[in-house]
Amino acid sequence: MPIVNRIADYAEEMKTWRRHLHRNPELSLECHETAAFVVERLRDFGITDIHTGIATSGVVAIVEGQGEGPVTGLRADMDALPVDEETGADYASEVPGKMHACGHDGHTTMLLGTAKYLAETRNFSGKVALIFQPAEETIGGGRIMVEEGIMERFGIEQVYALHTDPSRPLGEIATRPGPLMAAVDDFELRLTGRGGHAAHPDTCIDPIPCALAIGQALQTVPARNTDPLESLVVSLTVVQTGSATNVIPETAYLAGTVRSFDPGIRDMAEKRIREIVAGQAMAYGVTAELDYQRNYPPTINHAEQTAFAVEVAREVVAEVVDDSVPSMGAEDFSYMLEARPGAFLYLGQGEGPFCHHPKFDFNDEAAPIGASFFVKLVEARQPLQR
Amino acid sequence: MPVINSIAAEADTLTAWRRHLHQQPELLFDCVKTAAFVVEQLESFGIAEIHTGIAQTGVVAIIEGREPGRTIGLRADMDALPMEDLSGTEHASKIPGMAHTCGHDGHTTMLLGAAKYLAETRNFAGRVALLFQPAEEGGGGGKVMVDEGIMDRFDIEEVYGIHNAPGEPEGHIVTAPGPLMASADEFRIDIEGVGGHGAEPQESVDPIPAASAMVQALQSIVSRNVSAIDKLVVSVTQIHAGTAHNIIPGTAFLAGTVRSFRPEIRDLAEKRLREIAEMQAQVYGCTATVTYHRGYPPTVNHTEQARFAAQVAREVVGPENVRDDIDPIMPAEDFSYMLEARPGAYLFLGQGDTPNCHHPQYDFNDAIAPIGASFFARLIETALPLKS
Repeated sequence: MPIVNRIADYAEEMKTWRRHLHRNPELSLECHETAAFVVERLRDFGITDIHTGIATSGVVAIVEGQGEGPVTGLRADMDALPVDEETGADYASEVPGKMHACGHDGHTTMLLGTAKYLAETRNFSGKVALIFQPAEETIGGGRIMVEEGIMERFGIEQVYALHTDPSRPLGEIATRPGPLMAAVDDFELRLTGRGGHAAHPDTCIDPIPCALAIGQALQTVPARNTDPLESLVVSLTVVQTGSATNVIPETAYLAGTVRSFDPGIRDMAEKRIREIVAGQAMAYGVTAELDYQRNYPPTINHAEQTAFAVEVAREVVAEVVDDSVPSMGAEDFSYMLEARPGAFLYLGQGEGPFCHHPKFDFNDEAAPIGASFFVKLVEARQPLQR
Repeated sequence: MPVINSIAAEADTLTAWRRHLHQQPELLFDCVKTAAFVVEQLESFGIAEIHTGIAQTGVVAIIEGREPGRTIGLRADMDALPMEDLSGTEHASKIPGMAHTCGHDGHTTMLLGAAKYLAETRNFAGRVALLFQPAEEGGGGGKVMVDEGIMDRFDIEEVYGIHNAPGEPEGHIVTAPGPLMASADEFRIDIEGVGGHGAEPQESVDPIPAASAMVQALQSIVSRNVSAIDKLVVSVTQIHAGTAHNIIPGTAFLAGTVRSFRPEIRDLAEKRLREIAEMQAQVYGCTATVTYHRGYPPTVNHTEQARFAAQVAREVVGPENVRDDIDPIMPAEDFSYMLEARPGAYLFLGQGDTPNCHHPQYDFNDAIAPIGASFFARLIETALPLKS
């Protein structure tokens, strides 16, 4: 059972939606035009139970099936990235400095395609909650929607989402039970010494050796403090200090990111980074201000729902990977998976430039496949009671 | 189907063998008395085909089943460790500085117990090759036996081995398909500078900053060069330089170990270690000589054989006492060479809460020997069933 015929019939229409969204990227929580487009389409499909303004510009729409049954949440993200597009496509971004370089235009389109089919056919019991969220790439629109109570408000029992994957062949679906994507924490560090003339270091407190010592010592957090069977990345990604060859700077700015799966490893990494910064600062006589932000938690698929989604995927596509290697990337669908059982899956779009690359473009051929997966999932989970 | 009755009935005999072996530990390839004891027992079981002197003191003995069939290898290691026996038992080592603190006395005993049963009953179609190897704890006796051609010479098609496991509940059997134990490589980096007076560093080329920089940079192999999903340990475990407060030493050396599970990661770690050592030495005006010794490869179980062995284990100790999905562990094992040569599996047999292997108070738990022997015997009878 490949792509659902009825969805294949309106694949061209989905392509026009996707390309419209691609031309009009919006950032973070400010996905107002995108949300308005989504609402307009949903109304076209005859869906009336539409809730807007959740997490600023998020939308939740309810499609009623026939008869009593569970409520499944299907989620798409809507926001774009602050990237200058280089695809050269005739539907390229019309907004300078913004582009859909992570395929969220495609995710939104797949969920709209799903909504159209489900609203027309209603071959399922219970309800489907279509969740269109902003701010996946920034402050966790998924978290805000959960905090604003969508799970309770709409009685959502399980949640599923797809993410396009430009490293896999078109139509391959991949996932795994358990940890799929990492937790992400970010840190910023400002070191303050005493600046002065580079010919008189004795009158200064140089923050540079301290910054370098911190950079060296941070390597030991994964290399020496972490169980080698566990996974941890500590990347120092920004070191900025100084302005002239003959001036010892007063301050240095460092920043980086920490990725992990296990809560114990995550706690340990924060503790060690705090200790290393405090200790090295004291060793070099520098003061340190560390701002350590815990961001997205790890994306952990629930075993039962993953096995179910894999089974559905096998009916829709030929290639299904159910033991995909976890990625150190992160995803704010993790908050929805903390709130409700569910699964996150990758949908191959054929090999091409990677997500966040200025030449990345969602492959429109993947959209009917993703929509078919979603509708089959709903129909398999919520069969009509006859 | 629990422990085989006729093996359970021999439990006291097994304990006597084991304690005899415990009292006379031997090191590395020098397992002369142990091998002689093994041969004496095998002969007493009526086993005629015994080959000695393989890997110096290794023994291979063949038991023929009632019907023709395939040949399966069962392996036990025989060597002890160069340390004091502080077990405080009556059967403690009689040889100062040598002790069976890894339970190889128990492994040899379990294989002898299986041999006695299999030689008496011969309820299988094919042949069993009993592999008693020296030098697991250094020297790679397993590799030497493979290099001397035992797999081809005795037509061995599959190999199995058991290691006792302190900390696992007594009688539990655990394993996993795929990587089970790490590879273990050793390195030594000799740094040469120019020594001198501690008050006149400008006259010297100090090897200590070079050594410090190397240790710092070596951290980045794990933290920067390898995917966080892959598993690698690079441990600098020795730094030696200098003799006095006021002398800048002319040389320094570092030594350590590298553990991994995949050949690509192992190659990468060696390459980066060599680059870092040589280039950091150059930065500080010193020279570095890297001696990198590849030790045991990773112990990687073959999926089909690991699943099969776990199934046999379930029959012997009960399904609730078997796990076939344990996480790999970082210690290494030279049975890995046999698993490179032939499909097979390595399993851990719990011996309860005892001091850990290589601890001076460690002692093999005699209660598990009949379980291990029963496992080996059932494995043969299941893998090589009689046709009639």
